[in-house]
Amino acid sequence: MSVTSASMTAEAPAGVRRPRDDDPVWRWVAFGPALLLMLAMGTLPLINLVFTSFHDVAWSGGTAQWTFRGLDHYGELSSDPLVSAGVVNTIVFALGAVVGQLVLGFVLALLVSRIDRGQVLFRAVFILPILIPGIVIGAIWKLMLNFDFGLINQAIGLLGIGPHDWLGDAGTALLSVIVVDIWHWTPFCFLLFLAGIESLPGDVFEASRIDGASPWQEFWLITVPLMIPTIAVTFAFRLVLAFKVFDEVYLLTGGGPGTATEVISFTLYQRFFTEDRVGYGAAISVAVIFFICLLLVAGLSMRRLGRAQ
Amino acid sequence: MNRLKLNRREALVGIGAAALASRTGFAFAQAKVEPITIVINQSPWLASFQTTVELYEQETGNQVNLDVNPFDGSLQKQRNSVRAAQGDYDILIMNSGWFAEMYFGGFVTPITDIDPSFKLDPDIFTLGDTVYFDPDKKTMTPQGKLMSMPIQPLIPLLFYRGDLYKEKGLKVPETFEELFANAKALHNPPQMYGIMQRGARGPNTVSFDFYPYLFGMGGAVFKDQAAGDYSVVLNDDKGKEALDYYLNLAKEAGHPKTASIDQAEIIQGLTTGHAAHASIVVAAWSQMDDPDKSVVAGKIDYAPTPHLPGLQPGPALGHWLGGISHNVSDDRKRAAVEFLRWFQTKAAQIANAKAGGIPVSAAAYNDPMADDPKYRWMKPLAAALPHAINPYAFPEASEVISVLELGLNRAIAGEISSAVALNSMADEIYKVMDKYKYRTAALPALKA
Repeated sequence: MSVTSASMTAEAPAGVRRPRDDDPVWRWVAFGPALLLMLAMGTLPLINLVFTSFHDVAWSGGTAQWTFRGLDHYGELSSDPLVSAGVVNTIVFALGAVVGQLVLGFVLALLVSRIDRGQVLFRAVFILPILIPGIVIGAIWKLMLNFDFGLINQAIGLLGIGPHDWLGDAGTALLSVIVVDIWHWTPFCFLLFLAGIESLPGDVFEASRIDGASPWQEFWLITVPLMIPTIAVTFAFRLVLAFKVFDEVYLLTGGGPGTATEVISFTLYQRFFTEDRVGYGAAISVAVIFFICLLLVAGLSMRRLGRAQ
Repeated sequence: MNRLKLNRREALVGIGAAALASRTGFAFAQAKVEPITIVINQSPWLASFQTTVELYEQETGNQVNLDVNPFDGSLQKQRNSVRAAQGDYDILIMNSGWFAEMYFGGFVTPITDIDPSFKLDPDIFTLGDTVYFDPDKKTMTPQGKLMSMPIQPLIPLLFYRGDLYKEKGLKVPETFEELFANAKALHNPPQMYGIMQRGARGPNTVSFDFYPYLFGMGGAVFKDQAAGDYSVVLNDDKGKEALDYYLNLAKEAGHPKTASIDQAEIIQGLTTGHAAHASIVVAAWSQMDDPDKSVVAGKIDYAPTPHLPGLQPGPALGHWLGGISHNVSDDRKRAAVEFLRWFQTKAAQIANAKAGGIPVSAAAYNDPMADDPKYRWMKPLAAALPHAINPYAFPEASEVISVLELGLNRAIAGEISSAVALNSMADEIYKVMDKYKYRTAALPALKA
């Protein structure tokens, strides 16, 4: 028995053109509202940010007073000691943390992929840090790195080494924050790498073994080249996230001592939120977005160059 | 089914009782006011404020909700609320670092605009007259309108180990020289640090710790704020003397990692018996004598912060004021006034002190409770309060604080010398004040 509904059999009334999927006009009409909405959501905040960056916003009588400042705020960026320290430290932090996470994550993924029993347990243990909220991580590591009674200082004390102020010494503060970030985010890399390794074609490895490849050759000449796309994607993901670092710095060092752990997100927080300099904060935001766009363009250009070569 | 049946007499009695009940109820309703919400920060004195608020609720039947946040979070919530068309919070608990922003921005309704009959109790401390504001002249003097009620008159006091003083026969320090000698005498690291200073960079951290040294040596950031003269004098000889003393004290008798120490570490150092002195907000007293939190219960004594001979103590106001938001309904504004009216009474202030808070009324300090050894911080505080200095009488204070926090922290961390720190801070503060068109000037740079 077949059931046919009236709507299925209804013919378009005479004179009314039925829209067709391959009709470009209809496609734009159908797609247009969603496109406009997306453009509005993506570009309006950006336009607002750029507009605000040309102004100072003060409050009087309960209402906002806007004063046009032109490019003054952008000119101020170069002489702001927090911005320059923030940019340098953010780059050092992002590169240091991401490289550390990639190496550790890759090693852990390789090791776990070779385990026959208990792999689930190892996976669960290794991904634990990624599940812990940032505020808890701040508390854990603030205690661990405490000068007077921190676990790290107690441990090195057993080796006869005196206590060190990991977060208060300008020489080790940024390194300490990088270590915390590596601890926090290595599981992310581990998960992606493990998935990548497990999806590598087994016959290639079999063939290499038949040809007499050593484990080192197998790793270096087969595993690593086949994993390059996964490594590149993981690197890109982590780099973008590392550039946004804020909570670890805020919770552990507050940007100090001095400007040793100042990162650009923290500078932005200081200028925009704490000092309530909305216009200047917007200028920093625009500069950060511009910088990230530059990075993207540079990355894409390098990729094209690599392909061309 | 039973049906209630009334005869005529019973009905009349019932109607009379109902009428009486409704009149009584009406009278009670008149005494009651709208529920209010207070936005407040997490702090050592929060528990005492909560207890005081509960007492108000019990006594009046009025409802008060507290929205508790971290220091920074409270400021952001207050900004968001007062800038909206309709505010969420009726009373804003404002810190010394941002109340000027609220006054100048027109976000606080003067109390006497809501209730012209409201009178500030003469015993209430006006804390550098920061409860008043003249929106036309942009000054904080009693000639202005009553904008707020002091909630906590926080200033730093010198916390010291009274038991060790007796043991070593030391005299309570009044001058910086005496403090230095006593701190050195008790310095035996890592078991005991002669003094712990709050040198970390934060929202108002190291600068608040440094002010008593700066003001106590006759220095200042600005020449004369009250007169509108914002000439930057931070890098004069007095400023140099103060910062050199502060750094030397840290080096000779302080914690080796002063640059990363915040208030929590200092309280921890005192309560665990590892600090002989600290200059911290008086509100921390309640943690000193709590045997569950402190191994030195009953052993910490208090004194006004030291000063140079011939000068007075110079504690900076780190106080909290309660102001009524401009964008809440009139009913809620009136309800907020009722709370503040109750809060300024002697009974409320004594209850506040007994709960661990710091009274804002001289009446509490003149009460016999001030002689109780449990409240031995009250007399030093009463002696120091008249000398308290309001460092920020302008709305851009947070920018200046940010400059001070960075410069002082870098000097303490040893990144730059005291002269370089003072010159760079003075230069940046001058630029800030000049940018906002204040009457300002800069001194010649100190020689490094």
